[in-house]
Amino acid sequence: MSKTHTLRGLIQELRYAIPDSGLKDNLAFQYIVEQYRKYNTTDQQLCKAREEMDFIANSYLCYLRSSRLSRQIHDEFHGKGERSVQDTARMVGFKLPHDPK
Amino acid sequence: MFCTKLHNLNVAVVQAVRKYATPSRFYKKSSILKSDGKFEITLDQRKLKTPKGSLFLVDSEPLALAVATEWNSQKGKIVQSKMHITTLCNTVLDNPNNLTKLDIVNYIVNCLDTDTVLYQANEDEDLMKFQITEWDPVIEWFNKRFNVKLKKSVQMDVSPVSEEDKTTLIRHLMSYNFASVNGFLYGVDTLKSVILTLAAIDRFLTPEKAVLLSRLEEEYQCGRWGRVEWAHDLNQQDLQSRLAAVVLFVYFNSQSMKVQEKNKP
Repeated sequence: MSKTHTLRGLIQELRYAIPDSGLKDNLAFQYIVEQYRKYNTTDQQLCKAREEMDFIANSYLCYLRSSRLSRQIHDEFHGKGERSVQDTARMVGFKLPHDPK
Repeated sequence: MFCTKLHNLNVAVVQAVRKYATPSRFYKKSSILKSDGKFEITLDQRKLKTPKGSLFLVDSEPLALAVATEWNSQKGKIVQSKMHITTLCNTVLDNPNNLTKLDIVNYIVNCLDTDTVLYQANEDEDLMKFQITEWDPVIEWFNKRFNVKLKKSVQMDVSPVSEEDKTTLIRHLMSYNFASVNGFLYGVDTLKSVILTLAAIDRFLTPEKAVLLSRLEEEYQCGRWGRVEWAHDLNQQDLQSRLAAVVLFVYFNSQSMKVQEKNKP
């Protein structure tokens, strides 16, 4: 995955995570963009490899995306309490004795 | 009379539906504050606290931002069980089990005896092939990286890790700080494998790949018997978010924030 691709993914996930307010004055967003600008080239910097930052960015992307998806699946399938006798009967195509035929 | 009392009691028990306390979101915006070189999280004007009531403080700015983003992304209800980075920070700050660093390191190293990737199942030929092509390179990398001699096994009754190798790994893990070691523990419990956790934290494997390798047999069986979204996908995404949280947590806790620039204009 290219670096711009990762950045785009991160921004998209941040938008999913924080839908109400715009991202412009969000500190996390500002930090990520700033880091991307800072580590644009490694020639000026010692100690930190470019791949290292890319790996961390991808890990964060994975974190945001997987958290969102697991929550989505959980919300979709999580039980909403016990079914009534009528609902259960309807599921298997039966009717209760007092229901109209 | 006794019977009616008992009956009433039973009815009361049945009627008392257990309501779990999931607090609703009570703040508009979460942000961070810098004080004394450390970072705090704010929920509107309030400061975030740990479950034990002490102030929530972290050393690294990106970590604080990640925590604030977690709190910002709560919609309606605050689901703390899915906020893995916050949970990790809380565990380190409160230390609810009163563990020392050495306790945790010993626990992790002892998990190596039952490491997932060291025990390969030989009943199924195809699965065996997958295990050899996927797991063996990781074991090889691990042996080279930490200068140990771990051997995989296809039987259950062999103890594959020597005391010497354990000492080497204890020395390596003790070089991390307390917070990072807590992160390792969380990762090992997530993946059921010390080797895969260390590989992910050392950036040899991405979190996605490490989780895939940890679930190798499940994934193989899914290929044969079919996939169920509410079990397999949920499990996969949950493990991925846990492991990615660990990778970030250890990284931000163990890197030094000093960056020296070669020639600043």
